[in-house]
Amino acid sequence: MPSGRATSLTINRLNKYFGGNHVVKDLSLTVAPGEFLVLLGPSGCGKTTGLRMIAGLEAADSGEILLGDSDVTHVLPKYRDVAMVFQSYALYPHKTVAENIGFPLKVRGIDRATMERAVREAAAQVHMVDYLDRYPRQLSGGQRQRVALARAIIRRPAVFLMDEPLSNLDAKLRGYMRAELKHMQHALGVTTVYVTHDQVEAMTLAHRVAIMDHGVLQQIGTPREVYESPANLFVAGFMGAPPMNFVRGRIEQGRFVGPGVALPVAGEAGPRDAVLGFRPEDARVVAAGAGLFDATVFAAELTGDVTLVTLTLGEDTVAIKMPKEYEADFDSRVAVDFAPARGFLFDAASGARLPAHLVRAGAA
Amino acid sequence: MAVPQPAARPSRVEVTASLASAAPLARGEWLDRHARWLFIAPAVVMILIFSIFPLVASLLIAFSRVRLRAGTYSMTFVGFGNFEKQLVGSEQVHFLGQLTAFSPPAWVVVIAVAALLLWWLVGYARTQLTVIGLLGRLVTAAMLMALTLMLAATLLSGGQIGTLGVTLFYVFVGCAVQFLIGLGLALLCSQITRGRAFFRVVFFLPLMITPIGIGYIFRMMADTGKGPFATLWQWAGLGGFSWSADPWAARLIIVVADSWQWIPFIFVVLLAALESVPRDLVEAGEVDGASSWQIFREITWPEIAPVAATVMLIRVIEAFKLVDLPNIMTAGGPGTATESLTLHAFFAWRSLDLGQAAAVSYLLLFVTVVLCVSFFNLVVLRRRAAMAR
Amino acid sequence: MSIAPRPAVHRRWLEPARIGAMSPLGGIVAYGLLGLWAAFVLFPLYWVVVTSLKLPVDVNTGPYFLPWVDFVPNLHAWRGLLVDDAGPTFRAYLNSIIIAFSSTVLCVLIGSMAAYALARIEYRPRLVSILIFVLALVGACVAVGVAGIDWRVATAVALALFVLLARALGRRFPGAVHNGDILFWIISQRILPPVVTIIPIYMMFQSVRLLDTHLALILAYTVVNLPIVVWLMYDFFTKIPIDLEESAQLDGASRFLIFFDIVLPLARPGLAATTLLVLILAWNEYVLALFLSTSRAQTMPILVAAMNAGEKGILWWTMSVVIIIMILPVILMALILQRFIARGVLLGAVKG
Repeated sequence: MPSGRATSLTINRLNKYFGGNHVVKDLSLTVAPGEFLVLLGPSGCGKTTGLRMIAGLEAADSGEILLGDSDVTHVLPKYRDVAMVFQSYALYPHKTVAENIGFPLKVRGIDRATMERAVREAAAQVHMVDYLDRYPRQLSGGQRQRVALARAIIRRPAVFLMDEPLSNLDAKLRGYMRAELKHMQHALGVTTVYVTHDQVEAMTLAHRVAIMDHGVLQQIGTPREVYESPANLFVAGFMGAPPMNFVRGRIEQGRFVGPGVALPVAGEAGPRDAVLGFRPEDARVVAAGAGLFDATVFAAELTGDVTLVTLTLGEDTVAIKMPKEYEADFDSRVAVDFAPARGFLFDAASGARLPAHLVRAGAA
Repeated sequence: MAVPQPAARPSRVEVTASLASAAPLARGEWLDRHARWLFIAPAVVMILIFSIFPLVASLLIAFSRVRLRAGTYSMTFVGFGNFEKQLVGSEQVHFLGQLTAFSPPAWVVVIAVAALLLWWLVGYARTQLTVIGLLGRLVTAAMLMALTLMLAATLLSGGQIGTLGVTLFYVFVGCAVQFLIGLGLALLCSQITRGRAFFRVVFFLPLMITPIGIGYIFRMMADTGKGPFATLWQWAGLGGFSWSADPWAARLIIVVADSWQWIPFIFVVLLAALESVPRDLVEAGEVDGASSWQIFREITWPEIAPVAATVMLIRVIEAFKLVDLPNIMTAGGPGTATESLTLHAFFAWRSLDLGQAAAVSYLLLFVTVVLCVSFFNLVVLRRRAAMAR
Repeated sequence: MSIAPRPAVHRRWLEPARIGAMSPLGGIVAYGLLGLWAAFVLFPLYWVVVTSLKLPVDVNTGPYFLPWVDFVPNLHAWRGLLVDDAGPTFRAYLNSIIIAFSSTVLCVLIGSMAAYALARIEYRPRLVSILIFVLALVGACVAVGVAGIDWRVATAVALALFVLLARALGRRFPGAVHNGDILFWIISQRILPPVVTIIPIYMMFQSVRLLDTHLALILAYTVVNLPIVVWLMYDFFTKIPIDLEESAQLDGASRFLIFFDIVLPLARPGLAATTLLVLILAWNEYVLALFLSTSRAQTMPILVAAMNAGEKGILWWTMSVVIIIMILPVILMALILQRFIARGVLLGAVKG
């Protein structure tokens, strides 16, 4: 079994049922050696089940899992050469930090001196050398997190698996640990699969992001690709905070028509119900009549660095990020403006991105 | 897809890496591969050898006449002979009691119980009828009816009760008394703020003591001549009274001794249950102006009922096995007035009548299983389901 | 909406003086009743202690309550049992210790392993296999008991038949039982009155010449207490976060290592309480010892019970000493461990 060397991970048409529940549907993806892949999705989307199948904690109902060139689909977890960091950290409460970190070596019968040296090295990597004699209950959340990491890196596995490792930390610590994780993965160069429901974590950590929903892989790509070019409504709505704005309407005779909206469309899109999407930071609020379409101010909230303006447009609401100096009266009429290239068109029924885009009025 | 190349790894970790993965995992491989069975096999094998096999063998013995000879034995199949002897034959008085014609109160009780059981069965048949549910309830009802008839023909009509009746007395009267007092004490103890730990420790003491010792202790306590209350007895004119000579007094003192030992068990468990009732529920009740009784009836009791039902199931199961107290305190006497079924079987075994001993113990098993399983299905499971909702 | 305040009558007695306190009357009643019960519990124990310090004459001439006041305490009974008549007492004591401790260790070990397996590993034995097993068992018993065939032959034939038939029919009938059923089956063994199974066990031990040995009693006690261990420990094991075990699994630990190195240490409170409970039951057990031991393996309860038979009536002073030395070790351990038992263990398991 290859180990200590960056290994690729390949998943082919993986399926998992819990009773009649099809929780992972035909999941296929490849993780390059040394790559940091984030599995992103809402809770219950099958991402954790997918990770547990890679670990060997759940048996796959069909499909195969390859580590490098070897098929590990039916291999017991302990022979897979993968290490996992659990959401709860899974530190053994009755063992000291040193014993926790050294556990993977202990079960392999490594001699004491080597083990102690290795434990110190691993602890040094996560800055926990001073805490080796403590028990987990005497540590803070962030420190427990580090111990769990040290226990994973001590054996230099072929693949790291992480199941929402930062979700039990408070917001400030989470930001700090995120940066550290990213740096450590880069330094160690170990292939990593990381599960999270937090799109900020996904964006910041990943080389590539795989977005799942209802057991189906929706899109896989670099954070930028996924953000800038979402494959469907789900991905578009899941990424970004606040998420992408959606305006429901119809494409007819080369125009997107919605409540108070009529914009020319170019591209291959026959008549159909459609959704127009644009990001809050791509748009501006301008004087009524001066933008792409008019809307009514619902509220304007100063969040610190920006003012978030919520507008109503028929039954839809859209949010737009404006400079923090911006002010608007309730119920005043304004207009929304953005570069037509920054608008996305989706099929309302299937949610799929349409091969069409907005154009400047008159250019059609 | 362009993936950033990882930077060169720090060399210090490399040592660890190679060592960790190179070491063999082969130790205890065989054990691990068969862990699935190795974990459960010892328990199952023990139970099969010392519980299931004897159960089958015992049934066989109950249908046989067994003669012990030096180191060996011979068995002759006698069909239901042993059971016939207990239920209708020469041992009937011993096992069932002295059956006499029903007296008027006996008739009343029998008719009342029959009517109640019928009403219960009809009510069940009307609402949620399943074949297994009905069969189970029919068995339960038949058992209760049979026991009622037995008690009506003996106790309520002036006849002596047999060992079956005595055992039922220990189980039902004993457990009822123990439950009421245990619950009462637990409720009191849950109300007080100071000294709870003290009472918990003190009340726990009797559970530690061997039942044999308790038997002797209560013989001493009840001694009207030399016991601690002798002066009291003499003053009441009962100086010459002997507990062990009067059937009901003897049964009573056995129940008292049994209660002394087991009330603490019920107390401790119910107190723990009471302490785990969510405080906010009780507080919400208080804020809404409920009285103490209403709070108990509407909030506390439903919360602790599943625990109470289970604890009583355990108690009933153990009460059916009662043997040490009667053996020590009265040796089953006067006559057979305090003889429990286990003691009955033991005496039969001691007189080398193995077939009779097995038959009596199987009758005990039958009554125990029907009553306990009924209690489990009809009370315990229902209480738990009510809580789970 | 307004609710009228309660009338002020008797408020001084029935209403608490401050928030969170009891009403004065309620307090008096509660402490009074609890104190009464404490007296009822403690007095017999006090009486035993006092009686053990009496001379026969003190016992026979009527009740005396207070040492040094009513009568002069005397260690005569203690000396009589522990010095003059030390042989039988110490042998029974030693027997009790060997049997109770060995059976407790064995029982807790076997029971915890089974409980853990049922909590974490999925079993699905086929119904038809179980049926065949029972039939084979009945057949073997009939063959041995009625037809007089040698038990070794009968067992071998029955086992062979069982394996063959179970293999042949197992695939045809897919009905199976689950972990919950196995758990219930094991726990329900506790319903069995020991007297039902003891006669065949007696014959069994007789035929392998184990009657009146420590081993016979150890095995018998282990089996009767096994349901309790499985029942209590199952509850404890299911409460241990499964993450810990999965993590150990990924780290390369075997099931046995996980069990002994991770799971058992985490279940320590439950283990302690269960051990104590089983120890008490084994220490105090009477019926099985009555059947299975005659002289060499005689335990304390049998020794105590046998004191009934003296011609001079019961020697209350000696009896008191025996009872005290029998309960002292148990009470000592119970006091150390009572917190565990009182709170978590029983309740957790009883809640089901």
